[in-house]
Amino acid sequence: MFKTPRFRSIAGFALVGAVALGLGACSAGGGDDASGDGGDLTTIGFVAVGPEGGWRTANEKNIQDSFSEENGFELKYAPATNGDQNSQITAFTSFIDEDVDAILLSATEATGWESILERAKEAEIPVVLLDRGIEPNDTELYTSHIAPDNVGISASAAEWANEQFPDGANYVVLEGPPGLSVVNDRNKGWDETVADNLTKLESQSANWSTEEAKSVFETILKANNNDVQLVFAQNDEMGLGAALAVEEAGLKPGTDVKIITIDGTKAALEALAAGRLSFVAEYNPLFGDTAIDVVKSALAGETVESDIVVPSVTFDSPEAATTALPDRQY
Amino acid sequence: MSNTSSGAASFLKTSVKQPYIWAIAALVLLLIINLIKDPTYLGISVNAVTGDLSGNLIDILRASAPIMMIAVGMTLVIATRGIDLSVGSVMAVSGAVSMEFMHDAGDGSLGSALMAIALALGISAFLGLINGVLVSIVGLQPFITTLIMMLAGRGLAKVITSGQNTSASNEFFRWIANGTVLGFPVVFVIGAVIVALVALLVRRSALGLMIESIGINPKAARMAGIRPVGLLIFVYILSAVLAGVAGIFSTASVMTVEVAKTGFSSEMDAILAVVIGGTSLAGGKFSLTGSVIGALLIATLDKTIVFLAIPSSATPAFKAIVIVAICLLQSQRVRALFSQRRARTSTPRKEAVSA
Amino acid sequence: MAATEPIVEMTDISIEFPGVKALQNVQLRLYPGEVHTLMGENGAGKSTLIKALTGVYKIDSGSILVSGGPRQFSGTADAQSAGISTVYQEVNLCDNLTVGENVMLGNEIRGAFGINWKKTHEAAHEALVGLGLGDLDPRQPLSSISLALQQLVAISRAMVAKSKVLILDEPTSSLDANEVEGLFTVMRRLRDQGVAILFVSHFLDQVYAISDRLTVLRNGEFVGEHLTRDLGRSQLISLMIGKDFDTLASLGSNRRRDARESGEQPFYSATDLGRKGSIEPVDIAVYPGEVVGLAGLLGSGRTELGRLMYGADRPDTGEVTIGGKSAEVHSPVAGLATRIAFSTENRRDEGIVGDLTVRENLILAVQARRGWARPLSKREQKELCDKYLVELNVRPSDPERPIKNLSGGNQQKVLLGRWLATKPELLILDEPTRGIDIGAKAEIQEAIATLAEDGMSVVFISSELEEVVRLSERIVVLKDHRKIGEIINGPDITADTIVDLIASDGAEAQGVEAFEPEPAAFAAEGSTN
Repeated sequence: MFKTPRFRSIAGFALVGAVALGLGACSAGGGDDASGDGGDLTTIGFVAVGPEGGWRTANEKNIQDSFSEENGFELKYAPATNGDQNSQITAFTSFIDEDVDAILLSATEATGWESILERAKEAEIPVVLLDRGIEPNDTELYTSHIAPDNVGISASAAEWANEQFPDGANYVVLEGPPGLSVVNDRNKGWDETVADNLTKLESQSANWSTEEAKSVFETILKANNNDVQLVFAQNDEMGLGAALAVEEAGLKPGTDVKIITIDGTKAALEALAAGRLSFVAEYNPLFGDTAIDVVKSALAGETVESDIVVPSVTFDSPEAATTALPDRQY
Repeated sequence: MSNTSSGAASFLKTSVKQPYIWAIAALVLLLIINLIKDPTYLGISVNAVTGDLSGNLIDILRASAPIMMIAVGMTLVIATRGIDLSVGSVMAVSGAVSMEFMHDAGDGSLGSALMAIALALGISAFLGLINGVLVSIVGLQPFITTLIMMLAGRGLAKVITSGQNTSASNEFFRWIANGTVLGFPVVFVIGAVIVALVALLVRRSALGLMIESIGINPKAARMAGIRPVGLLIFVYILSAVLAGVAGIFSTASVMTVEVAKTGFSSEMDAILAVVIGGTSLAGGKFSLTGSVIGALLIATLDKTIVFLAIPSSATPAFKAIVIVAICLLQSQRVRALFSQRRARTSTPRKEAVSA
Repeated sequence: MAATEPIVEMTDISIEFPGVKALQNVQLRLYPGEVHTLMGENGAGKSTLIKALTGVYKIDSGSILVSGGPRQFSGTADAQSAGISTVYQEVNLCDNLTVGENVMLGNEIRGAFGINWKKTHEAAHEALVGLGLGDLDPRQPLSSISLALQQLVAISRAMVAKSKVLILDEPTSSLDANEVEGLFTVMRRLRDQGVAILFVSHFLDQVYAISDRLTVLRNGEFVGEHLTRDLGRSQLISLMIGKDFDTLASLGSNRRRDARESGEQPFYSATDLGRKGSIEPVDIAVYPGEVVGLAGLLGSGRTELGRLMYGADRPDTGEVTIGGKSAEVHSPVAGLATRIAFSTENRRDEGIVGDLTVRENLILAVQARRGWARPLSKREQKELCDKYLVELNVRPSDPERPIKNLSGGNQQKVLLGRWLATKPELLILDEPTRGIDIGAKAEIQEAIATLAEDGMSVVFISSELEEVVRLSERIVVLKDHRKIGEIINGPDITADTIVDLIASDGAEAQGVEAFEPEPAAFAAEGSTN
């Protein structure tokens, strides 16, 4: 099996990567185009988050594919170094200095962007926020914010939960790192919508991680003698971790414990199709076309709506998941 | 002072003087708090469905295994006056290599699991070798060297998996993290055996003495004919290989490598475990037993926070308070306040070889 | 003198540390206008007694009277405000301040706008003049003056603080003869002003040159208080070490052999051994069973040559032959492998591994030679400890005690044991007797003589020329990083011979090589270091 060509190339790549130490961290996306002239191409700087998980990968790939040379763009992709905001600010600054035509920003942190956005504004470079918003949300500082609606998505998840448990249930929330705007929004939508007869036992952070979610949820199950009927996991990975913990405790996910996740990655839909998850709310990553429209209008001087919601769907049954799976790109 | 009238009493006395006695006290205290919340906390039962033993203690042992691995490696690196910040990233690399390999092999066989493990540990050792060579031969600062490796390793893990969280299915691999032997979690048993082997290696050979010597007084050690280069390369390779084992443990538990999350900030847990265990960050004398206890404490603390349903926003503060309290209790000054020049026995203390 | 009441009277002082009785019923009386020397081997309790007086340690029993009234200080600062100042071996002044600021530290003259620096410096100048240091500019930074002068500045500071009692803890250990004389002048001046001075020193000559009265301690116990003029040297040494002086005097009397028979092979020989910036190429040979002394002033290259022979520094020129075979010794590992051992002069930084036990320190070099994979068994370790701790009379002889808790002399003995345990054929000893008490010194000298008799080659480096002359068969004299001559020891050779050789730079003396004479005095030479 060691002879599998793909794996050999990976192993080779690994060694090369290890030797070329410093390069390893930034070589992941590698979207820097060779075209230097770009005379009739619109230059776009993309201050991105970089590899983080399935959703993020799909989102950033979609953006990169959309802003292609065929469509008349030259996209400069700058992923953050290990989610560090400083590296994003550095990339942002150099895009301003290069005088790109527009900047796309997926911020790793919500705060601390005022002064740099001010500079972009002075340089008359339109800035489009993708997915993650900024705090405080000053719409003067950017052209538009394109994102699926976190509050709405988690509200729809809560509605489904209300329907499933008309007689009430005990539930647990697995959240992302405390303080992130995504986490706050997903909590908000859920808490506002969920019925009073559903009892929240505990809300713990599992840092978006499958492994941590599994470890956290196995303990929660023990602390409550398995008397948990519902898990609201704020991303797919944590939901999958919770499913593993449920299985290990000898319970059946989907029957004994129903698990809701947000994002809608392929792995989650597969799990939904297999009955291990019960409800997956999509957080649609594919909004490259919308972003192109916004950038074009902004460059043409037209007014753009400052808040654009990307429509998302939900999957509430194995059948729905099976139907959607073949087309799932991420 | 007192003559050794009874062996047990004197053993108790010597262990009371170990700096990690407070970590043990904190561990017991945490267990008691959990017991108060739920009197059946310590109970271990057989799960009717899966047939495995289950219980909170089992979970703690399981969760402590990866921390134990990196803490033991970190202890030896710190003893040489170094530090290894790259353990978390090496965990990710090791996990990525094994998952990617098994995903590719796709047959779920024992052979591919073993091959994946060998490959993962091999690449980990290679990363450790780079650390060791840069520190010992090139003479770079350990902090800088391993910081670079921390960034580069994470990048490498992403390259290996093309930035994707990669899953694989392999029953043997899964069993490593989730199975039990004789009632104990396999991870813990493997971890304990590895710790025991490392302890035997460093304490039964002269490695421990030499590592301590170069940590306490590198010049004097050189004059006594000790070659630091080999020792340094050895500790960095060992640290990386143990991190590789930890990476296998943590990815095997969910059979997925999360390139951005696996091993993330684990180096902090490792350093904490070492400090809690009573090894000075300034290098020199080290205690593997202490670090193992530190790892157990950190795992227990994590589990307790969830068990007590402490709100997630308060967990960092809660953790910090417990750890600061232990460090305070360990500090010479605070201890001096408690015991006013209490006469100490002149019986020497030597750290036990066991894990 | 001694007509008045003592200004400090310590009676029946006892201090116990965990497991150790540091002081037992010790007396000490300090009179105004007197220099009082505290004598004793290392570990006798001298420092402990000083710290008991200044309140750094609490006494468990006994009484301390200062100017007739009972006092217990809470620490050095408290003692200083009561007029008892301490000047330590390592001067504790602020390097980055000026001389004047250091002198006046805490006693600055204040004006309407804070400190009046002009007046402060004037006052500092006066204080310096008072000690005969009028030449010293109070405005120059402290770091620019020699250690000896810094010590005098520390004393000036004590005087500005109007101290009636001045404690000098081993002030002369790193001074050259001229500097010592300067210090003594100041001490005499202060004594004549009525200051009571407590002086701690290892150097017998200095003790007799300066002190009026002395108190001898041994193993934490009070041995006696004597007027210096009533006590002969040999009596004093006997009091300190509790054994007869004859053992010391007889040492080395039969060490003076004739020149080597022709045809005998040296164990070690080097031609043109040198290293840029540390020593110019030197030829040196050491025969089996021979003690070769390296003599020279501090900075003459005697230490550097020893280090090159061992491989502690990498030589860049020279051919080395060991045991008849050509060898390359460029690291301590290589040195040990060719059966050379080197005991450094820098015991704390390059010798002991402080947190490790006596046993671990003792076996370290043997273990390093064997490699990590072949650890010494418990039994082998115990054998080594038993052998060397007893042979070298290490006290306390507990192998499990951390070496940092031993006195300097005993640390040195453990280190000597470490090197002997490697069974070297050439043992290089750099200042093995420095800073240790006379008893340990005699024991170490004795050990060296015995080793050579048993066939070991020894290179002996010491700043005490008498010691070099007493122990060596041949003496290599160094100056300014080069070898200026070689003396075959004999009945006519004394320390003066070497001094003359250095003073005339090898031109006239009975050395082998001759160089251009260079007018340089012994003392002037020392002060450059």
